[in-house]
Amino acid sequence: MTAVSTPRAKAPHDEVSVAVQRRRAWARSAGLVTAVVVLGLLVLVSLSVGSKEIPLGDVWAALFGNPPDDYTATVVESRIPRTLLAVVVGAALAVAGAVMQGITRNPLGDPGLLGVNSGAAATVVTSIAFFGVSAAGNVWVALPGAVAAVVIVYAIGHGRGHGSPARLVLAGAVVTAVFSAYVQAISLSFPDAFAAYRFWVIGSVAGRGFDTFWSILPFIVVGLVLCLSLVGPLNALALGEDSAVALGARPGVTRLVGGAGTTLLAAASTAGVGPIGFVGLAVPHIVRALIGGDHRWLLPFCVVLGPALVLTADVVGRVIARPDELMVGVITAFIGAPVLFVVVRRLGARA
Amino acid sequence: MTRVDAAAIAAGGAAGGASRTPARTFRLGSWLSFRYRLRPVVVSVLLVVVTVILGVATLTLGRLGIALPDLPGALLGDVSGKEKFILGVIRGPRLVVALGAGFAFGVAGSIFQRVTRNPLGSPDVIGLTAGASAGAVSVSLLWPNIIPVPVGALIGAVAAMIVVYASTGRGFAAPQRLIVAGIGVSALSLAFVQFVLSRAQQEQATVVSGWLNGSLEAKDWSDAAVVWVSVIVFTVLALALAPRTLLVELGDDIADGVGARSSATRVFIVLIAIALSAAAVSVCGPIAFIALTAPHIARALTRDSGAGLVAAGLTGSALLVAADLLVQQAPLPQQLPVGIVTAGMGGLFLGFLLIRQWRRTG
Repeated sequence: MTAVSTPRAKAPHDEVSVAVQRRRAWARSAGLVTAVVVLGLLVLVSLSVGSKEIPLGDVWAALFGNPPDDYTATVVESRIPRTLLAVVVGAALAVAGAVMQGITRNPLGDPGLLGVNSGAAATVVTSIAFFGVSAAGNVWVALPGAVAAVVIVYAIGHGRGHGSPARLVLAGAVVTAVFSAYVQAISLSFPDAFAAYRFWVIGSVAGRGFDTFWSILPFIVVGLVLCLSLVGPLNALALGEDSAVALGARPGVTRLVGGAGTTLLAAASTAGVGPIGFVGLAVPHIVRALIGGDHRWLLPFCVVLGPALVLTADVVGRVIARPDELMVGVITAFIGAPVLFVVVRRLGARA
Repeated sequence: MTRVDAAAIAAGGAAGGASRTPARTFRLGSWLSFRYRLRPVVVSVLLVVVTVILGVATLTLGRLGIALPDLPGALLGDVSGKEKFILGVIRGPRLVVALGAGFAFGVAGSIFQRVTRNPLGSPDVIGLTAGASAGAVSVSLLWPNIIPVPVGALIGAVAAMIVVYASTGRGFAAPQRLIVAGIGVSALSLAFVQFVLSRAQQEQATVVSGWLNGSLEAKDWSDAAVVWVSVIVFTVLALALAPRTLLVELGDDIADGVGARSSATRVFIVLIAIALSAAAVSVCGPIAFIALTAPHIARALTRDSGAGLVAAGLTGSALLVAADLLVQQAPLPQQLPVGIVTAGMGGLFLGFLLIRQWRRTG
């Protein structure tokens, strides 16, 4: 019914000859290398585009030691933190989405749709307003809200084990509505405390420094390691609960580890750049359309293409609204919502 | 879930409210007659009383309130400077707009929940209010004074509904897809609003972002006129179509069989609901969840499976006036937009509905 369950649907194809399998692996490796190259180019573009354009050649020169002049060096340097943030947050959100889709066997998994980002935002806002914590990038502050959101969404959406994709999304919408109302109420009631966070509330990588990057990086690394360790169990789970158990996977453990990993990733990226939606939905679905649902390839592709999407969104946001900038979360919604429409049409007949 | 609801509506409708109070027939000469039951009428009267009390509280409480003994005189036109200002400029229009917008949201929510046969199929859940606000923001910032704001809201709402209708693949008949598609359309509309805002002048953008949360601040009598003209015209139309709508709820085959052309009826009644929501949104922004909650509360109060349109509208008025009273009198340094309060409370109510519904269906 969905892309998540394609391994079963494609079972006959998996019995193809070794030669074909090897050729497919080559094609995927080549694709991954291409994606990495594209990501590298996007990083350079992100360093070059902005209110002051720097030619790509000068960016390269500035990065590797001999900038044409100090001014160029400064401009490029000032764009490094946001570029690095976009990269790690993109990887975190895309992998979190793919793993959420895998462990819930639900094509609509996305940290934004399922309310995790708004839960994280709620506790961040609370700590800024009431405890004076300067919380940009403080993942410890974001974690309780993210965990609370996951628990609530799962409790409402899964009920007695009859969770359907739409039900989880609806539970996510409830959690998002309540938490965002709270975030709005707090940020409007303490205008001074939130002057610096006006864009953070919508999701933006602009105006963040290296400190934000370094403080969220360890959490994202841990989260990515947890998630990437699950490729085998996720493939087994895609065949169905019973088959997974028969293959030796332990669905309960997989869900627990996956839940911990995705919550870490979502909390860390929200703490860093605010609640950005749809990256976790769009990237895994695009990757599946390109290379199929095998998690051994799906997750690495997400690690590369997630950053590519967020970087593209950030660069487009800088260009499209000159002389202002459009927040990255706005652009990802433009890209991600159409993907949602495509996925909706493929939901099961019951929906 | 739909099947259960449709069955309940069918049972209630077919048997004329069967086991509860018996239906009575009201006749006025030979040209007007309709069937009604006592309980919804009593509930409606009580709702009006509650709304009047809330309205009086809105006008009298707080630092700017008109003293209660002076209120009757003030309302009858015997007003001096301060009371005249408060009644005519500050709180009067605000209260009247709240009454009308709440009614409009309640009626629109009731219509959508019935037509989609989906207890969650209200304009705010399926992306209509977000689309309307995108349309309103676009015309007011990009083409100010060329296209009237309510028309822009209407265009945005219709566009959002077309996208939702098309993207489910089965129109409004797919309850769960409808809601997911609505969430997508809402996100898309909000992103579009942000884009338009970034193109606007700073001071315009500030005004609009207050409106975007759903706010009743700074309303005047022309706003009230827009809301109330729409409420009166479209509620009357909806009531005129009510018998046919009930037949459509019983199923397209039955409706077509007795001559209530189902597709035409559905299109008309949906257009009425869109127009009502768009009118309310164009004046006070996308005030969240009144349209979702009002019909449910009305249904629980009247114990009428179909929740009469008028009862839903009255409940909407009472809810919005109550929320606005809370916002005005809350001891906060800065007055919050009323939409934030309704979003928080309505979100909790939606969660409650989901849990209850899923307990029942397992």
